[in-house]
Amino acid sequence: MTETLTRPPVNTPPPPRRPTKRRRRAVAEEPGKRWLIHVPLVVYLLFTLIPFYWMLVFAVRPTGSTQLVPWPMTLEHFDTVWNDIGFGIFFYNSVIIGLGVLVFVTILSTMGGYALARFKFRGQRVFLLALLCTQFIPGAMMLIPLFVIFKGAGLLNSLTGLVIAEVAFQLPLALILMSGFVRNISYELEEAAMVDGCSRMRAFFAVTLPQLKPALVAVGSFAFIGAWNQFLFALMFASRQDKFTLPVGLSYALGEFNTDFGALAAGGVVAAVPVVLVFAVVQRFLVQGLSAGAVKG
Amino acid sequence: MRTRTWAPYALIAPTLVLMGVFLIYPIGSVVYYSLQRYNVTQPWKNGFAGLDNFKQMLFDDPLFWQSLAFSAKWVFVEVGLQLLLGLILALVVNETFIGRGVARALVFSPWAVSGVLTTGIWILLLNPSTGIFQELSELGIGSPGTSVLGNPETVFDALVVTELWRGVPFFAILLLADLQSIPKDLYEAASVDGASRWRRFTSVTLPHLKDAIILSTLLRAVWEFNNVDLIYTLTGGGPANQTTTLPLYVARQAVDSHNFGYGSALTVAGFLILLFFSILYLRLSKFGSRA
Amino acid sequence: MRRLLVAVAAAALALTACGSGETGGDGKVTITFWDNNGGPARTPIYEELIKRFETANPDIHVEYVGIPSASVQQKYDTAIAGGETPDVGGVTTSYLAHLVGQEALAPVDDRINGGPLKDRLLPSLVETVRQTAPDGKLYIVPSSANMDIIWYRTDWFKDAGIEPPKTWDEFVTAATKLTDTAANKYGYTIRGGAGSVFQLITEAYAYSGVDNFYKGGQSTLNDKANAELVDKVADLYKKATPEADVNNSFTQMIAQFTGGSVAMMHHNLGSYSDVTKALGDKVAAIPLPVGPSGKRTIVPNPTDGFAVFKNSEHPDAAWKFAEFLTSAESNSYWNEKVGQIPANTDVRSAAWIDKAAHVKMALDVLEDPATVLVPAPVYLPQYSSITKTDSEPQYQKVLLGELSGQQFLDEMAKKLTEAQKEWEERK
Repeated sequence: MTETLTRPPVNTPPPPRRPTKRRRRAVAEEPGKRWLIHVPLVVYLLFTLIPFYWMLVFAVRPTGSTQLVPWPMTLEHFDTVWNDIGFGIFFYNSVIIGLGVLVFVTILSTMGGYALARFKFRGQRVFLLALLCTQFIPGAMMLIPLFVIFKGAGLLNSLTGLVIAEVAFQLPLALILMSGFVRNISYELEEAAMVDGCSRMRAFFAVTLPQLKPALVAVGSFAFIGAWNQFLFALMFASRQDKFTLPVGLSYALGEFNTDFGALAAGGVVAAVPVVLVFAVVQRFLVQGLSAGAVKG
Repeated sequence: MRTRTWAPYALIAPTLVLMGVFLIYPIGSVVYYSLQRYNVTQPWKNGFAGLDNFKQMLFDDPLFWQSLAFSAKWVFVEVGLQLLLGLILALVVNETFIGRGVARALVFSPWAVSGVLTTGIWILLLNPSTGIFQELSELGIGSPGTSVLGNPETVFDALVVTELWRGVPFFAILLLADLQSIPKDLYEAASVDGASRWRRFTSVTLPHLKDAIILSTLLRAVWEFNNVDLIYTLTGGGPANQTTTLPLYVARQAVDSHNFGYGSALTVAGFLILLFFSILYLRLSKFGSRA
Repeated sequence: MRRLLVAVAAAALALTACGSGETGGDGKVTITFWDNNGGPARTPIYEELIKRFETANPDIHVEYVGIPSASVQQKYDTAIAGGETPDVGGVTTSYLAHLVGQEALAPVDDRINGGPLKDRLLPSLVETVRQTAPDGKLYIVPSSANMDIIWYRTDWFKDAGIEPPKTWDEFVTAATKLTDTAANKYGYTIRGGAGSVFQLITEAYAYSGVDNFYKGGQSTLNDKANAELVDKVADLYKKATPEADVNNSFTQMIAQFTGGSVAMMHHNLGSYSDVTKALGDKVAAIPLPVGPSGKRTIVPNPTDGFAVFKNSEHPDAAWKFAEFLTSAESNSYWNEKVGQIPANTDVRSAAWIDKAAHVKMALDVLEDPATVLVPAPVYLPQYSSITKTDSEPQYQKVLLGELSGQQFLDEMAKKLTEAQKEWEERK
């Protein structure tokens, strides 16, 4: 990524935030309105966290226990997940696929989204509709023809193949989203830069791309998580144990004769915690558009 | 910009290639099989069927209509609530308060959880013997053995809540990202004019988010329409087909019963319905027109 | 047109593809084995057996692939359509007919008869497998028999001072007695969701004592006594069972049982490791209760076995592995861990069988000369579509009181009769 060469002069970034001061001011401005933030937030946090707590409890309490406070804790389920199911390799595969999909979807959707938002060209509406159409058919119905294509291309049993499949399926959605984001960014600055002699590409990198940061984070994380959670293709296009992914590993714990909630929950913790943590770091870029210079979040 | 007309084509070329290679043939094959009798377990019966599958679907299959009606209800309620809650959530975490970063990370976290895992977690949570209703009944709230998924009266609400859990963050993340491109001076101008919080929301925020809302509701509606895993695992479409969506019915026909020709016809029907409503929706909402 | 598109697609991608050939230069043969029930309970068993096999056969490498049981049919169907089948696969008779119909498997009759397994496999299992294929050949080598049973909580029964039930009347009494809805305790749990009707059919025949699935070409499923049983089960719903049961697939059902709120659960020997892991010695098994006739009739559970796929490039190595898995030693190891009935008759005298009470019980029932086997027509191509896709939602209506047991069974019996007629005509 290039650094911001020209800082857009139109919108002044807000002053650096000092939380306490800001809070006091807001309260002074609108007394009693803080509950508007805290009440929905607390309610929603409860809704979000209770299911996670259930997962955590099942992951660390012994099979057969029904205690809600899981003490003493056990690591037996993590042992099952890691040693009996072999989560290590699934985890690695999911990371590789997730990152591959993230990179390609973000780049290609930015290109296409920009084209849709900034140009008027023949076939534009048809293209948009075609993008939508690709989402109208459940993946399960396309499985066999896709399998045949992948076999012909030698893409079975390879992480590359899964990345390509996932990119093909996610790109239309990401591209449409991205076009919406680009459309919301003022075109005048970009035009001004071009008038100043910048090439369009340079103008894009210098002016528009920095403002797209929240969009890139949103679309990129959707792409990553979509790939992270992909089950059907991962199971069908790979027939080697060392090419399976996390969701396949999780589904092992839900079989007839194999139902193991402790393992499911422990596997869930393994699958969810790293993503939640990474997202916790990345989410602050969601709110860094224009005000990229300011210390936020 | 309209001078170098090759530029947009060059930019969308990779997408077109990927779609052409991976999606056209599979979609075409679904259309092809919708006109066939095709069932691998009875290959001797396979052959051209003309419109027979569609005739059966339209005139001789009450489950098609029932599942379609349920799908419509499901999509409408689910997307409406996801949008509403997602918008509120985006506005809330866009405010400045202590612990905002942590709060944001937490409320968005269900999004990071896999489909298999979401259903697994909710099986544990809603199970009458190990789930939340059991714990609540021990505290004296509700009666023991409450099964929200087994009761025809509550199964729909229970599924809606479950899907909201992982669906709301989608809207919240998108809308939060889009909120960032609202020029701050617009708010400042509105503040100077003495506009109330609500006024600023309706006259500045909402118009700016319009395109994003249109796109995300449309995409989410399509996704919710076709999404199978959650309902399949939690209720299997039951009790007594009451929560069977069209794609779930497709999966039962095409995958479980190997009735691939008929399943394809049902898929084509779903495709046409989605196409019709997408065009209608984009027209009615005047997508892309500037305020 | 389709070919052309595929060719174009393939060409477009040939550049990006990375090769994945694996013909070892050391003359070692690699075969692939698909476990149709991959997961923490069974994967380690196969890993151990593969290790033993590779030690004994250093020139063969077995690649294990665990398929989650819920997706195994879809995985096989996709692989067959795409021509990428494994060398050896775990297959049960519940979908064997579909694989045979797609001509994916190689018959193993000659191989069995030409090797050490000859006359070493339970004849009843061999017969079940044989009946599944229209040409009467063996397309899997049977490895394990399963039987429907009732798992029950020994501690609950002891506390209540009642004996485990032998007849349906006793069963209903016990289920009712052990129910205390206020304390969230139930006597029984019904499988009302995915997989429900198969279990219901086994209960119905166990009760009615009807000794043949077809009589004069007509399905006996809608026999009055069968319908009586269906109504009896439906009567228990919500009275002596959790409300959740109407949607119960195996996953939810076993969560209730292992979660400690249910006294009895109808499943089969295969859930042995799941139930004992959670409940230890507080759980034991009894056969399905009999009805007023007192006759013991059993609808056999699908038989597990191993298939060699027709497209295998190393059929001999593949068979060697399948044979190894069914040999007395491996078969004993596998069934001991899983808790099912070994197909290899040499294992019958193994010491562990006398210690595994539930296996012993099942064997006693099966070997009792008074027991009559009533095999379900799993050979019908429409069997699973009729009994699962069509009938499972209808059974839920019965549980919810919207349909009578007789109407429900009439509907299903009619379809099964037609399907049987069609099958006879094609034979």
